[in-house]
Amino acid sequence: MPVPLGFRPGHRARASRRRLSPFRTIILAVLAIALSAVAGGFAYFIPAAAAAIQATGVMPHIASPSPTDLLTSPSPSLSPAQQGAFTVLLLGSDDDSKFSADHVLTQSMILVRVLPGTKEVTMLSIPRDLYVHLSTGGYGKIDGAYSYGSAGAAIATVSQDFGVHIDDYIWVGLLGLIKVIDAIGGIDVVTSSPVMDDYYPADVYGGDPYGYQRVAVLAGPQHLDGVHAMQYVRSRHSDIQSDFGRSKRQQQVLQAIRLKAKQLAPSDIPSLATAIGGELKTSIGLDKVARLVPLAATFDNPDSIHQVLLLPPYTRGGGPDGSVTPDWGAILPLVHQYFP
Amino acid sequence: MISRYVLAVCLAILMAVTGVSTYIYVGSRQSKAVAPPQKPTAAIPRAQGYTLPGTVYIEQSGALYSYSAGRFHQLTPEAGWTQPALSPDGNSLLAVKRSPMFSDAYLLSLYGAVRLQLTNNAAPPRSSWDSGANAWSFYPRLSPDQRTLWMSYDGPKVAGNNYFDVDMSVWAVPLGGSIRQGRSWTTANNYTGGDIQPVPLATGGLIYTKYAYDPDGNRVGQLWFTNRAGSAGRALTSTAAGCAQPSLSPDGHTIAMICTYQKQVSYLTIASWNGSSLGPLQTVISDQLVAQPIWAPDASGIAYMAPGGPAAPFQLWFLPKNAYNPPAPSPVPTPTPSPGGPHNGPLPTPSPSPVPTPPVIKPIQVTTNLGLDATSPLAWLG
Repeated sequence: MPVPLGFRPGHRARASRRRLSPFRTIILAVLAIALSAVAGGFAYFIPAAAAAIQATGVMPHIASPSPTDLLTSPSPSLSPAQQGAFTVLLLGSDDDSKFSADHVLTQSMILVRVLPGTKEVTMLSIPRDLYVHLSTGGYGKIDGAYSYGSAGAAIATVSQDFGVHIDDYIWVGLLGLIKVIDAIGGIDVVTSSPVMDDYYPADVYGGDPYGYQRVAVLAGPQHLDGVHAMQYVRSRHSDIQSDFGRSKRQQQVLQAIRLKAKQLAPSDIPSLATAIGGELKTSIGLDKVARLVPLAATFDNPDSIHQVLLLPPYTRGGGPDGSVTPDWGAILPLVHQYFP
Repeated sequence: MISRYVLAVCLAILMAVTGVSTYIYVGSRQSKAVAPPQKPTAAIPRAQGYTLPGTVYIEQSGALYSYSAGRFHQLTPEAGWTQPALSPDGNSLLAVKRSPMFSDAYLLSLYGAVRLQLTNNAAPPRSSWDSGANAWSFYPRLSPDQRTLWMSYDGPKVAGNNYFDVDMSVWAVPLGGSIRQGRSWTTANNYTGGDIQPVPLATGGLIYTKYAYDPDGNRVGQLWFTNRAGSAGRALTSTAAGCAQPSLSPDGHTIAMICTYQKQVSYLTIASWNGSSLGPLQTVISDQLVAQPIWAPDASGIAYMAPGGPAAPFQLWFLPKNAYNPPAPSPVPTPTPSPGGPHNGPLPTPSPSPVPTPPVIKPIQVTTNLGLDATSPLAWLG
C-alpha cells in the first residue's frame, strides 16, 4: 500500500486525540455559555449577597431576665386569620458621633404585626420617652433599652412590658434611612402641614454632633429624597404632639417606602445593598427575606393598614426626667387586640 | 474537526463575552423607579407630545425653567431657586431663593435675571448651637396693583431665643420696602406651620391656606378668607376636607385646590367663588397625587403636577376644561312618525334615539422623565 506523502505512522492517531467531534464541540460550547452566564449573573449579585449575609440573620444577644426565649418561643394557638402572622420590632436610631456604635438611643420603635392570611398590617408606635421597666434592670425611658443592651435588650423590654411575642427585629440608623430612600429613588408623601424646626440636629452631615440647623419641609404632596424624608420624620420641636406627631409621620414614610419598594426589580438589589451597607441589621434570615418580598407585594389595600399611637389617655406627660407615663391598664388591652 | 487548542481559545473568549454580557444585561434590567430624573433641557420633545399654550414656569433641583412650544429653557442656575409667580402685568417673575438657613424673595425678569431682592432674611452667624435670627420667606405674590409683596414669613426672629414654635404668617410688605414697613395680615395657630400660599384678590381681600389642629389632634390645611389685616377671617373649607394650594381662575369665579381628606391622597378639587364664600367642593381628579393646580390663562384647562407612575417623581399634567366643565349636550331630536296616508289603529310609538354618552376626558401627561418640585407652585403666562 503506497504511503501518502507526508504521512507519518502514529501521528494521525495523536492528531485525532487533539481534535473533537462537532457534537462534542457544541456540547462544550453550550456548557461554557451556561456556566459563564451563571457566573456573570452571580458576579452581579455578589455585593448584594455579601451585604445581605452581613446584615441579615443577626440574632440579638438577650442577656436579660426575659421570661422566655423571645425569638424562638412558639406563638400561642392562633385563629385561622392569625395563621402565619408574625411581629417585627422596627428600631430607628440616631447613630451619629454623639454615641458609640452599639450604645445608641432608639428614636423610633414601631411594632409591626403582619397577617398574611387577611393581608392586614398593624403598626404600633411606642413613644420613645415611655417610662418603663427595662429588661436590663431598673426603670427608664424605653429609648435607652437599646443603648444598655443592643437589640436584645430592646426586644426583651418591649416584649416583657407589652406582653408581646416578637419574631424578628430590624434596626436602621439615621444614615441608613437616608440611604435606603435615596437608593430606591425617593418616595412620594403627602406632608400634612409644613414641618418647621429651628433646632433640628445637624449631626448627620453638619460636622458638629451638637450643632443645629433650620429645616422647612413644606406642606403637600411631594417626592422626598432621603435627607428631606429624614427631616420630615425626625423633626419634633414644632409639633405640639411632639413625639406622637413624629410617630404619625414615621408611619406615613414607612408606607411610602413599602409602596416604592413594590416598583423595584431584582436587578436593583445590588445597588441597594451597596448603598445601605452596614446601616441596617436584622434577625430575619435571607431565606425568610426571600419569602417576605413577594408577600409584601400582595398588600395592596391601604385601608388594611392599621396605625396605632399611644396618645393620651393611654399615656400622659410629666414623668421623671421628661418621660411619658404609661397607663398599662388601658394600653395592654389595646395592644393585645392587635398583637394577640 | 477543530483543534483542541483552537477550541479552548474560542471557548475562553466565548465564556468571557457571555459572562460580561450577562453582567451588563442583568444590570440593565434595573427598574426605572430608581433612575434619576432627567434635566428638563435634556428632555427631547416628543413628536406627538402635547404642547401647552403660552409659557409655564416650573422648578426642578433649585433651578427655574420656562416651558413653551414644547421646549424647556433654563432661567436660573441650580442654586435654590423655587416658587415662581408672575407679576399681574406679566412682565416679571417673583421667586424664592432658598439657602440652608433662610430664604429670600426676588423680582426677576422673565428670563431669570435678578432685578430686585425683595427681602433680606439672612442673619449673621453665631454658633453651631444656635440657628440665629434667620427667617424664611415663601410663596411670594404681588398685589393686583403691583405695589405690595405678599408672602409667607416666619419672622421677625430673635437669635438664641430657644423658642421651638416656628409658624409662618401671611405678610404684606410695600414692594421694595423693608420688612419693618410690612405688617402681618394673619395670626397663625401655634405649632402648626402656620399660614401659607396667599392669593391676593382684586377686591383687596386675601385667600390663603391656614393649618390647624382638628378635634382628633391631626394637623390639617384649610382655605381661609380675610379682607382686613389682623382680622380673624373665616374658614372656607372644613378641617375634614384638608384643602390647600388655592388657585383662582382667570375670571375670578372658581377656585382650584387640592384636598387630602387627612389621608395620603390628594384630589384635584374645584369650587365656585362669589367673592366671599365657596360653593360645594367638586372633585375633578381622585386617582392621582395632585399638586399645585393652576388655571390656563385662556381658561382652557388646569395644569398641575402629579407622579408619572406609582411612587415616581412629579411630572407636568394638563386637564382640559371639558373634563370638569363638559359642554351642554346638544338637543336630542324628537322622532316623529313618518307621514303617510290614512292609518287605522294607533300610531306606532316613536322610540327616542339614545342620548350619546359624552367622551371621558382624561388628564394629559405633558412631561415624562422629570423630577419637578411639587412644593413649588407653577406660574403660567398666556
